[in-house]
Amino acid sequence: MSRRAAILLSGLVILSIVIQVSLLPVFVLPPFKPDLLLVIMVFLALRGSFETGAPLAWLLGLLNDVCSGLYLGLNAASFLISFFVIKSISDRLYADSAILFVLTVAGVTLAGFTLNLLLMVTFTTSPGIAYSMLSDLFPRLLVNAFVASLVSAFPGFDSKLEVS
Amino acid sequence: MDFLRKYMYPLITGIGILVALLVFSLNVPRNREANGVERSTLSILSPLFRPVSRMSGFVEDIWDGYIRLVDTHSENLRLREDIRVLNQRVHEGNEALLANQRLERLLDMKKSVKAPTVAATVIGEDVSSWFRTLIINRGSANGIREGMAVIAADGVIGQTVKVSATTSRVLLLTDHASGVAATIQRSRARGVVKGKGEMLCTLEFTTREEDVKVGDQVITSGIGGVFLKGLPIGEVTMVKRGEYGIFQTISIRPAVNLAHLEEVLVVQRGGYE
Repeated sequence: MSRRAAILLSGLVILSIVIQVSLLPVFVLPPFKPDLLLVIMVFLALRGSFETGAPLAWLLGLLNDVCSGLYLGLNAASFLISFFVIKSISDRLYADSAILFVLTVAGVTLAGFTLNLLLMVTFTTSPGIAYSMLSDLFPRLLVNAFVASLVSAFPGFDSKLEVS
Repeated sequence: MDFLRKYMYPLITGIGILVALLVFSLNVPRNREANGVERSTLSILSPLFRPVSRMSGFVEDIWDGYIRLVDTHSENLRLREDIRVLNQRVHEGNEALLANQRLERLLDMKKSVKAPTVAATVIGEDVSSWFRTLIINRGSANGIREGMAVIAADGVIGQTVKVSATTSRVLLLTDHASGVAATIQRSRARGVVKGKGEMLCTLEFTTREEDVKVGDQVITSGIGGVFLKGLPIGEVTMVKRGEYGIFQTISIRPAVNLAHLEEVLVVQRGGYE
């Protein structure tokens, strides 16, 4: 990844965290808070390289865990698994497509829900959390897809992230 | 004739003055009535007055509306700025008043707590909607440790988890992983308040025989050492006793509006390293 892309990505991640932690809770109900880090991870998975994308996906998930819930490593695991799945098929897809990006974000939201639920049910004692997660799933999916569509509308979405 | 020719001007002057005084003296008693001369003069001149008056009005309008308004635009801008500043001051005043009321209530709570406390401000919320945690602006540098009780003016909020030097996460009562030993204030029935998500809690492990009614106040029992005894937790909103089972299902609405928290108190008691 080029120096410029790294700085841009770092700034974007910090901005996303600040928005999600301090700005959105004031104006948006919890189920309608978008997963900005998840959107960034999907972008990296579709457009970035495997070598830099994989650790970044894990780090983004870890960052999400630092600001969310009790279980450090939960989202890190689900982000990394999602990254691997996307990466394994992204070579056969037209990764520059905006529609594919939106659909992938929606799919990863669904997959993330399933993975997180599975991990929590398996490793933690959080009875009843499945109900909360399930009730939030649909609005979350729609909001994430909406944010992805906004991202894809940005000028420069088509440009390559990696510089060889 | 020579005499008249010689004194003609002084005579005319004197007669003129005399006539003027006479006219004046004759009109003094009728000073509120128009005489013939006056009426005639007004009648003749009035047709001229109207257009001139209109013209004067027009000129006055131009003068007042345009020529004298050279500075009005800048004055308007200045007044608008004044209004904006004043509105801002009113808004700040209202905010200060509300903050004062909140802090006053928090101070009352602080006085009622028999342990040292640290006031903190909520600076963030959980990025996920699945968990219920808050981030406050006080950490280990302020003497906060994991497992300390966090309260607001109306009652219990939760307890500290994941403390860093300058910030702490607060696990809210409503999180699925939260549990607080509690008592029904009226009947002293005991149980554990567990989070249910969505700003609700349940009182668990309360046996069917215990006396619990809708509207009962739920307070901390002090068991476990995290929370001081007697802090308000919430109010019972639903009680259900099934045909089977040894426990009853009790729903609780937290006393504190967890969605709009700004200032909290961390009770510096207990906790773990």
